Amino acid sequence: MAKINRRKFLKTTLAGGVAATAVAGKQKNALAGGSFGGYPDSMGVLVDLTRCVGCRTCEAACNKEQGLPAPSRSFDDLSVLDKTRRTTESAYTVVNKYEVSTQDHPLFRKIQCNHCNEPACLTSCFVNAYKKTPEGAVIYDPTVCVGCRTCMVACPFYVPAYSYSSVTNPVVKKCIMCYDTRLKFGRPPACVESCPREVMTFGKRKDLLTIGHDRIRNNPGQYVDHIYGETEVGGTAWLYLSSAPFEEVGFDVALGTQPIINYVKEFLTVVPMVLTIWPALFAGFHLLATKKSKANETASAQDTK
Amino acid sequence: MNKKTKYGVGVLAAVLLAWAPATSGTAMEGPETVQIDALAQYYDAVTFDHTMHVEAAEDNCAVCHHHTTGTPTDDPNCVRCHNTSQEGDLVACQDCHAKNRFEADYLQQIENNPRLYHRSKVGLKGAYHLRCMGCHQEVGAPTGCEDCHSRNDAGDKLFHAGTYAPAPGSESEGHH
Amino acid sequence: MRSIAANGKMPIATLTKPDGSSTWTVKEKLLLGLTPGEYVAQMVRNPVNWVLAVIFAVGIPVIIGRFAFGLSWVTHSSYDYPWGLFLGWGLFTMVPLSASGFMLGTAVEVFGRHDFKPIERLALLNGLLGYFFAVMFLQVDLGQPWRLIYPMFVSLGPAAVLFLVAWHVATYLSVQVAELVPAFAEWAGMPRLKKFIKSMVVGLTIAGIILSTLHQGALGALFTYAPGKVHPLWYSSSFQWFHFFCSSIFAGLCMLIVVSTLCKNMMTWRCDTNFLNNIDKLTISLARGAWMALVTYLVIKVIGIAHDGDWKYLASGWGQWFMLEMMVGVIAPIFLFTRAIRTNSAKLARFTALLACIGIALNRLNTALITFNWKLYQEIPHWREVMIVVTIYAVYIVTYRFILYRLPILYSWKEEKKA
Repeated sequence: MAKINRRKFLKTTLAGGVAATAVAGKQKNALAGGSFGGYPDSMGVLVDLTRCVGCRTCEAACNKEQGLPAPSRSFDDLSVLDKTRRTTESAYTVVNKYEVSTQDHPLFRKIQCNHCNEPACLTSCFVNAYKKTPEGAVIYDPTVCVGCRTCMVACPFYVPAYSYSSVTNPVVKKCIMCYDTRLKFGRPPACVESCPREVMTFGKRKDLLTIGHDRIRNNPGQYVDHIYGETEVGGTAWLYLSSAPFEEVGFDVALGTQPIINYVKEFLTVVPMVLTIWPALFAGFHLLATKKSKANETASAQDTK
Repeated sequence: MNKKTKYGVGVLAAVLLAWAPATSGTAMEGPETVQIDALAQYYDAVTFDHTMHVEAAEDNCAVCHHHTTGTPTDDPNCVRCHNTSQEGDLVACQDCHAKNRFEADYLQQIENNPRLYHRSKVGLKGAYHLRCMGCHQEVGAPTGCEDCHSRNDAGDKLFHAGTYAPAPGSESEGHH
Repeated sequence: MRSIAANGKMPIATLTKPDGSSTWTVKEKLLLGLTPGEYVAQMVRNPVNWVLAVIFAVGIPVIIGRFAFGLSWVTHSSYDYPWGLFLGWGLFTMVPLSASGFMLGTAVEVFGRHDFKPIERLALLNGLLGYFFAVMFLQVDLGQPWRLIYPMFVSLGPAAVLFLVAWHVATYLSVQVAELVPAFAEWAGMPRLKKFIKSMVVGLTIAGIILSTLHQGALGALFTYAPGKVHPLWYSSSFQWFHFFCSSIFAGLCMLIVVSTLCKNMMTWRCDTNFLNNIDKLTISLARGAWMALVTYLVIKVIGIAHDGDWKYLASGWGQWFMLEMMVGVIAPIFLFTRAIRTNSAKLARFTALLACIGIALNRLNTALITFNWKLYQEIPHWREVMIVVTIYAVYIVTYRFILYRLPILYSWKEEKKA
């Protein structure tokens, strides 16, 4: 190995450390201990499952508004409700039927992106394709999407779909709360407007929480005393009221109240520590290790003198 | 005519005049039919048989009109304030329930009025369906969408039904 | 090749021909000093190549099809299981098995363990090729692979763990290429290039260990985005990144033992005496390092389960599967390595290393695919997905072999004596 003097060594180690820091030091430090409760005036939707009869008008309205491909079955074909469905690349919202223990007729649930306050998809995206708008919608920019599909792994509600069938431009597909065509202009999403039974109430999220709790209070025994989405994974813009326990209607009740990013923060804090400590630590090891051999060299040199 | 006779004729005339609208059935029991065309975009207008529903409700207007016709409601929550309500000027559903319930101007109206009590009053479409279908479910009357209003061509297009229905066997998106 | 070497045709190990007449040309060096006829003949004779030929015959069209017809042709287009074998094997399994690069680079250059020098270059090559092909797998998996550079130059999302992985893998690849440049420079006859790299080797190595620690851990941290989706026995809320980082240490060392064994037995003609004489001793030394990492991993794994209170899951079907993985991949290797080190048995150490590598593959596949969505249905990958994985791995092996045949990795290049 070429003889290396101290100056050269420090120069190269520092360069290596700085280079490593420069490329990986772009880690944004998450707000220490803080969490984002949503923009103050952001909109939301309160979904009252006791009103839904599974007519699928919302699915039809969404299909039209978002220019989605024609479905394989008519939207008035209610036999599709016999199977549990999920959102797909051509269906941003679906309605499912659930037999519940609290009543003899089924409950229906509309599934779509919940537009979380601190979305897991946004957190996990390394090209910053997602954005939580001040109006409350979580929107997505398909022009930067690389197709890594981490957002699909991250979403605790299994919402984002992917257009695998496209060869040249496969992208993530999900409900955007009709942001481009409606929400931006202060108008309600197409599904909300289309619903005949006004299952969905559109308004400011903070008002909807009040309305939801009032409804529970004014109709004792009719609703489960909980608004799903009020606190789940840090709170969502789409909130649910149900007359049956939420787990019976297909909701995941084990999600906890922490936004997904909190689970990742532990690792993210390790990153700057490694970037700063490792160079010093290993440079130290190196000096210790070579000191011994240097001592041997000088000793043998002196012997031969 | 002497004074007594004039007085008697006057009373009789007044009574007759007061009674006349009542016996023709328009003031007390409302119209015979109502054309509901708020859904004209996707559905044909509904000719709502008001008279039949008055009978079905056993003359209790409050079943549909809350307290607005002067008939007291039996919902204890409403009675707290509306016990002594008289017949109002606004009786029809659309008089109170907004057609565009979630547009910015209506939402702004509610927000501008913090002391408004009935803040989460449903819109017109919701009022119809929640009120009508709730009762229909109880009494076993028709509850299907097209049982009350058939879809027009634009409606068929929206639902990809009728002439716009997908060809059978065109299965797609079977991916889970 | 064995018979050729036995017949006296020495494999190229110097810049000039043995008779001193001239320097080897690039073509001669590429053909290993054989005539084209001889070269093709030895290729055809090799049974490994027959298997490879079959794999490529089936697999190359499938890979072309993936790009011609889209991902829907080669996968089940699953929304619930967006990641399949391309990432499960190509990224999550191959990256820890390629950790030998930073492990041995650090041992030799930072800790001064020059006794590891004979296998240092093999470790570096193992690392470089593993990461390079992990990127190849990634390109096959990405929906829009031409947008690979987007997180670097077009739209940055720095808060995401994958952002770190992308930057680190890219940077680390460069570091590893640089670390192997001396071997290339010797073979190509570019002494100044070699000197240039050698002057930065300590800096490069420390950069390598920083980058490796973080991205090996980051691959584990990716699963913290889906805390409920991975089975609790494979998911630790606090230690997920550390599990992946610690297991990458013994993964790299054990893979190196496996690869060096393959080289020793199947490419003996290419290995010089320095390599062959020291390999058994070095295998035991590597086993020692792997043993320490295995014990650490086991301890932190137990702590992780205790920390999350997951003991109850052990008494279930998944729990039994977990115990099997721990037995095969961690506990048995600990005992076997102990015995191998005590009895100085390189043979036992080699078998144990293979066991540990299988354990790593099992752990990563379990975390990414098998116990992922444990509450939902199971998904078996599409056969074309399996075929592509096999094919790309075969290309990796061919590339590995190509380089090992030529560059001074398993042998020392004889330096030119200056007149």
